[in-house]
Amino acid sequence: MASQHQQSSYHHFHPQYYVYQPAGQQLYHDPAFTPREYRLQVPQPTPEQQQHQAFLTGLNQGSFRPQQQQIPIRVRQQLHHARVAMASEGQHAGPSEEELAEMQKLSNEYEPEVKGPLVGHRQLTTNITAEYASADPVYITKTEHLPEKYSHYRTVRGDGACGWRAIAFGYFETLVHCGDANKFLEEEARLCSLGNTCTAAGYDQMLYEDFADESYALLRKLMTGLQDGTAESVLFEAFNDDNLQNYIITHMRTLTSAWMKTHPQDYSSWLLGQTIDQFCDQMIMPMTSELENLSLTALKDVLLAPAGITLEVVYLDRSPGVAANMHRFDPGTAASFDIGHIRVLYRPGHYDIMYMPQDLPPVSVPVQTYLQYASQPYHEPAYDISMPDFMTAIPGMSFANPHQAWVGSSYADSDFFGSSAPVQQCPQPISAPVIAAPQPQLQAASVYVPAATAHLVPPPTQMPEELVIRTVPHASVSSHESFALHTAGPFRSSQWQLQANLSQHTPLQTSIFRNSHFNTAHFLNPDFQPEEWHPEDEYVTPNARGSKNRSSG
Amino acid sequence: MAANKRIMKELGEINTNPPPGCAIRLAKEDDINLWDVTMDGPQDSPYTGGKFHIQIVLPKEYPFKPPVLTFRTKIYHPNVTNDDKGAMCLGMLRADEWKPPNKIVDVLKLVRAVLAAPQPDDAVEAGIANEFKTDRKAFDKTAQDWVKKYAK
Repeated sequence: MASQHQQSSYHHFHPQYYVYQPAGQQLYHDPAFTPREYRLQVPQPTPEQQQHQAFLTGLNQGSFRPQQQQIPIRVRQQLHHARVAMASEGQHAGPSEEELAEMQKLSNEYEPEVKGPLVGHRQLTTNITAEYASADPVYITKTEHLPEKYSHYRTVRGDGACGWRAIAFGYFETLVHCGDANKFLEEEARLCSLGNTCTAAGYDQMLYEDFADESYALLRKLMTGLQDGTAESVLFEAFNDDNLQNYIITHMRTLTSAWMKTHPQDYSSWLLGQTIDQFCDQMIMPMTSELENLSLTALKDVLLAPAGITLEVVYLDRSPGVAANMHRFDPGTAASFDIGHIRVLYRPGHYDIMYMPQDLPPVSVPVQTYLQYASQPYHEPAYDISMPDFMTAIPGMSFANPHQAWVGSSYADSDFFGSSAPVQQCPQPISAPVIAAPQPQLQAASVYVPAATAHLVPPPTQMPEELVIRTVPHASVSSHESFALHTAGPFRSSQWQLQANLSQHTPLQTSIFRNSHFNTAHFLNPDFQPEEWHPEDEYVTPNARGSKNRSSG
Repeated sequence: MAANKRIMKELGEINTNPPPGCAIRLAKEDDINLWDVTMDGPQDSPYTGGKFHIQIVLPKEYPFKPPVLTFRTKIYHPNVTNDDKGAMCLGMLRADEWKPPNKIVDVLKLVRAVLAAPQPDDAVEAGIANEFKTDRKAFDKTAQDWVKKYAK
């Protein structure tokens, strides 16, 4: 067959016709579940069949699935007539081969229904389990085990470029989840520098630029989006813009093939009967070529590994076992750091994106606020919350002193930093209950904070005063009244009431902080007893504490 | 926008450095996606001496979809449909083989090469292809006749 193709330099073979099958891929090839891959085996031509075979090849080439519409109907009709005429001549074509040709043609024309968004929304992996509920037992078992590790997945449109799209999307998304704006600048610089590689590989810089520029622009947009919390939606829209994602995918394809061409020693041994140039021209660059195992490796090498991104491919196929096989592509020595994972689900011929729970954007801010107890699974509250609320999230900054009941109804709408009214302006009647609050206890606790954490605590003698000064203007008459009404437990009735179990999740709790009166989680706990200083403590453990005190004092 | 940028680049490049035997201009001043090409028949081929009017339509998805190429001048060739469309679709022009880095100048070079050396195995006109393979003289004669008749 190969000799035929050399007859003309413009006679490109259909990609899927090539014998190239990376080791292991055969294992995952599952015709029953991927009809697009289904293909009849045309018998090897005997010499006298060569001519006819060549003609059939021409037929096959003319009729590739999504492009069928491109060929004028008249051409197809003529193909048909020509074929019938040829058959009637009865030279080489027996009826069986004629049938085969017809079936081959139908097979080639088969067009899987391509639908759905280019990149879908994140959804629960249990949907995959449901999808396969009526499949054969291997799939049922494997998909049942899938949600144990991978909580969510995202569909990618299966139009041939799905693998490229999944990895490209994953790359940008991992950068977003990494959350470091500098990383975007670094990546842009790195990708720019790969332009030289592309030039070295023979790609016209004038053309390459067009594709790359869109990737750089997206990186910059995402970096801006990171600040106002729109990065995820910007990314989602970019990849659902058919034109834009084509640019980015073409950029990835160009990078991959440039990388392969400039590092032939790493890849040539995996090619069966093809040169690197042929592989790149036929299996990477054409718009419809899918992500092969080898191009996946090269894409990982050029794009993911230097960025510190680990790639995991989960193979869902009919191979034996209870769980889907996972292959992990570590960044290796290319990067000494790890900023995240891209996980893709490979079903023969198709890639989707998957997520483990830890890949998801943080469900809530690291330090929980009282204002935010209804957590949405996928939103990024860290960027959503408004400034005053955010300030209450910082433990040391909190002006909501547990012993000062008047704060309860006022701090939701107070602007902590915006109001620095001098104490002289404070209405006298209001400052009275404040001072009546159990200040002595507070001060006592503050003064005797163990030496090891002293630096965490603001100067103890100033703290209560500052609180009074800054918050008093907001302690309006109504809040004064609320204090009077709820002397028993003023925070119980707040509309921002904390959910009972929430305090247990609060991270950043050292044992010292847990017992500190600055820990506002004690609002709920009527039995809270702040840590107190006992002289015995000071003297029972003379070694560590005694020496430290001496040196610091 | 971005696609236009690409087309503008190519148009500029092709105007300063046109491929041999080709004259290119926009069919309409305001439509950058419609190119008119006048191609001389290659030497040493039955088409020599002919001037062929080829229209190139760049789809709005260009460069992600291949340009559509039609012979406005009737031509007797196994790879060009013998009808009022005069469509040519082979090699890199096929949507599944099209690569975004391909340029229109490459396409025109391909067309010229195919005029010089028809690809009967990849034919759209099976009758002409058959004649080309079995009776080259008859083919050449008809092709030359058509050049005289249509491509002067």
